[in-house]
Amino acid sequence: MIRYVAMRLGIAVLQLMALAVVVFFLIRLMPADPVARLVGLNASADAYAQSERALGLDKSVGEQFIAFLGFGEGRGLLQGDLGRSWVTGEPVAAELMRSLPITVEVVSLALFVSLLIAIPVGLIGAARPNGLVDRGAFMWGLFAGAQPDYWWGLLFILIFAFTLGIAPAPLGRMDPLIIPPDPITGLVLIDSLVQGRLDIFVSALHYLALPVLTMVFTVSGAIVKMIRQNTARALNSDYVLYARACGLSERATARYALRAALTPTVTLIGIFFGILLSAAVTVERVFSLNGVGQYSVRAILDFDYPAIQGAVLAVAMVALLVYLLMDIAHAALDPRIRE
Amino acid sequence: MTPDNAPLLEANQLRVVFGQDAQATAVLDNFNLSINPGEIAGLVGEPGSGKSTAAFALLGLVRNGAHFEAGRVHYQGRDLLNLPAAELRQIRGNRIAIIAQNTRSSLHPLLDVGTQIGNVYRAHTETGKKQAERRAIELLASVGINDPQRRLTAFPHELSTGMAQRVVIAMALAADPELLVADEPTSGLDVTIQAQLLDNLWDSARASGSAVLLITQDLGIIANYCDRVFVMHEGTVVEQQAVNPFFSAPQHPYSQRILALQRREAVEDEAAAHPDRIAPPPSQALLDVRELRKTFPIKHSQAVVQAVDRVSFDVRRGESFGLVGESGSGKTTVGRTVLRLETPTEGEMSFDGLALHSLPEAELRRLRRRLQIVFQDPMDSMDPRWTVRQVIGEPLRLCDELSESARDQRVIELLEAVGLASSILSEYPKEMSAGQQQRIAIARAMVTHPDFVVLDEPTSALTPETTMDILVLLQRLQQEYSVSYLFISHDLTTVRFLCHRVAVMYLGQIVEMGTKTQVFDAPKHPYARALLAAHLYPDVSNRRVDRERTETLRGEVPSPVDLPNGCYLYGRCPNQKQRCRNEVQQWSVLDDGRGVRCWRVVEGEI
Ligand SMILES: Nc1ncnc2c1ncn2[C@@H]1O[C@H](COP(=O)(O)OP(=O)(O)OP(=O)(O)O)[C@@H](O)[C@H]1O
Ligand code: SF4
Ligand SMILES: [Mg+2]
Repeated sequence: MIRYVAMRLGIAVLQLMALAVVVFFLIRLMPADPVARLVGLNASADAYAQSERALGLDKSVGEQFIAFLGFGEGRGLLQGDLGRSWVTGEPVAAELMRSLPITVEVVSLALFVSLLIAIPVGLIGAARPNGLVDRGAFMWGLFAGAQPDYWWGLLFILIFAFTLGIAPAPLGRMDPLIIPPDPITGLVLIDSLVQGRLDIFVSALHYLALPVLTMVFTVSGAIVKMIRQNTARALNSDYVLYARACGLSERATARYALRAALTPTVTLIGIFFGILLSAAVTVERVFSLNGVGQYSVRAILDFDYPAIQGAVLAVAMVALLVYLLMDIAHAALDPRIRE
Repeated sequence: MTPDNAPLLEANQLRVVFGQDAQATAVLDNFNLSINPGEIAGLVGEPGSGKSTAAFALLGLVRNGAHFEAGRVHYQGRDLLNLPAAELRQIRGNRIAIIAQNTRSSLHPLLDVGTQIGNVYRAHTETGKKQAERRAIELLASVGINDPQRRLTAFPHELSTGMAQRVVIAMALAADPELLVADEPTSGLDVTIQAQLLDNLWDSARASGSAVLLITQDLGIIANYCDRVFVMHEGTVVEQQAVNPFFSAPQHPYSQRILALQRREAVEDEAAAHPDRIAPPPSQALLDVRELRKTFPIKHSQAVVQAVDRVSFDVRRGESFGLVGESGSGKTTVGRTVLRLETPTEGEMSFDGLALHSLPEAELRRLRRRLQIVFQDPMDSMDPRWTVRQVIGEPLRLCDELSESARDQRVIELLEAVGLASSILSEYPKEMSAGQQQRIAIARAMVTHPDFVVLDEPTSALTPETTMDILVLLQRLQQEYSVSYLFISHDLTTVRFLCHRVAVMYLGQIVEMGTKTQVFDAPKHPYARALLAAHLYPDVSNRRVDRERTETLRGEVPSPVDLPNGCYLYGRCPNQKQRCRNEVQQWSVLDDGRGVRCWRVVEGEI
């Protein structure tokens, strides 16, 4: 098991490194002039050249790459330094430490709530195929998938924030008048609890309600479908039939089926975490959440190379970590995976 | 009817239907069956006739998507179809237990064996985990699993088929049932293991006085183990009889038809009566194999799998040489190696004077047209997009000297030789029956007019009738084309029918080799004797359970990675002595010309 984890970690590091290389060269292939973008089109040739030197863009791509990796004089990727944003001048790592937790929080919460709904609905749907719950879930899946997530987001804002007034306006992740808790993990929900600030916790939950609802609404149809499938397979299996034939109690038989149906769910978590990470880009925009999705959009529009590189690597790292954790969990639950 | 001779279980006019409304199909219809206390009854029927549905129906169970539409199942006067769930549970797995057919998929893939057996035991007794574990060990040991303590923590995917079968049998026996429904408990197992398990089942049923319903497609099992037989056809029991009258005078046409397949034996007897027709033309060896050894490396390990070990034999011109043995004994590897589809690790092979083992690729290619092979599954070796003409004609690219039209001529000649009409030339083999596909595969192997053909289990995937047809065809082709066969099979009946000389393989070695009569009628090596004795003939005059079983092997086949030091049969052999443990057995030829690998046979002790 330890060897497996070590191997997987090693692979993840290699993947990240490859990704860093690809991103580095890919953005430099863009027909873009980040210097002009920064100094303005009317800047003098001097100002342009000075700015170019400051950004290090006067050097060859090869030299830039060496500097980026950290083999040059300054610090680089190897030293864990992602450079400074060309726009804000702040260290990219520090900016990511602020934006990434927001995204992770929304996505994790959305996934958690989705599973909370999808597992019982999927189980009931499989146990009573074509019953009310099963058909309802099916319709819901079709309905929710019919429009893109930002459309639903806007609709929810209209209904819950403006018409009904039970949700706050989409102005970020907590009441703008509240001073955020000291960052410990960066995750407001956790930090506020750790510091005993229930008021912040409640406010943050309140503000996260609509973005989470939007994600849950669009993604849980698909999760229900997969859980239903797994459960139906387990219920129709030879081992459940055989457990009945051996006179095992209804409870024990149900446990056999549940165990088999829910074990593959951990892989679902990994997959849907990835899906929700990409959905975060639009959802964050609709709800003015300064997550990593928004951050990336801003960086790309500004040709802010260090920020783009940093954001891509940070998101990839989170995704790989989640995949790894889920694979480990799967291996722990399923002896067939362990070899 | 007094309670004393009342049946234990009785199914009356049972009707089980799959699907709803328009798509509904009845799998059981007017199904009647009754089992008396302590009897061993057999239920025989073809695939898809509803045997497994019936097995579960006797416990009042159906698969998801099916339902009982009519009829009753009575167990000691209680109606299982209308019993409260709690009472039903006390009967299922407790009074009536079942050995499911798909043993591996009947075990929960995520739970270890000990837990699953324990769960069944605890469902019917007031015991704790510790006691259940002890019982599980006891049960595993009783079904012949070595080291049961360690096996408790094994997961189903780690078990061999035979082991999974034993585990399910252990589960079924957990609560000492009064009736055991065994649904093809030994299908897919090797004959010696099958005999071990069925002997075991029979002995323990007789000892405890419990009844057994043995479901099978094999009349040999019925004849050797059952007191009474039910014949099932298309969802209904068409005949029930005691075994003796059944085998001498079956009543229903379907019973007569399946029993007529015993004709295989009859044809054999006829062949034996005309030894001149069947005897091989006396001639020198075409293929001569000396001390062949083949090992396969194991990934991430220094160890090797020893698939073939010091194998020597020769095949003469026009002869059929049979290679029998159970799965994993190395038959296929021998066949593939003598065709140089695998490179021999050690040893020499000569074909018609050529040193086959060291022949360079280019010369080997030229030789290919003289060496062909037919596989168990013909479609494995055919491109599904090809027509019959393309498939059969394919090896002719080895015959450069033939013109286009001569090739076409050849294809048609062979098609007719295997008994197919030339009208199917443009059709696709994948759309044909298994029997036709095998004929096409045979035509393809013979199209280059080879001298030597390896037949690797060519009939294992066929029904008994088709098997017979294919064997007759092979025999005819051999005479027409004077070709030699290396015939590989685990089915002794087919080997007995087709072959002149036979070698018996065990764990990569030939343990006995001789003429068909020598090996089949008077085998000497303990393994060969066990193998032949384990073959169940549909013959009630010499039932296995009625005779003293001295040839029976013990335990499991060892892994070919970790072989015993001395005789490979040591540990399983009924004749073993201390000396066998560490003494490597050498090949010895006896006075009557047969070869064996057992010192006790050589010294005349057995
Ligand atoms: N390519 C291979 N790599 C590793 N091991 C192999 C390979 N081919 C065969 N073996 C092993 O060699 C042994 C003999 O196999 P082989 O298939 O020849 O036996 P067999 O008697 O024909 O079995 P069956 O009747 O099941 O087909 C087995 O233990 C098998 O696992
Ligand atoms: S050598 Fe010994 S163990 Fe091997 S077959 Fe002969 S008697 Fe049995
Ligand atoms: Mg084989």
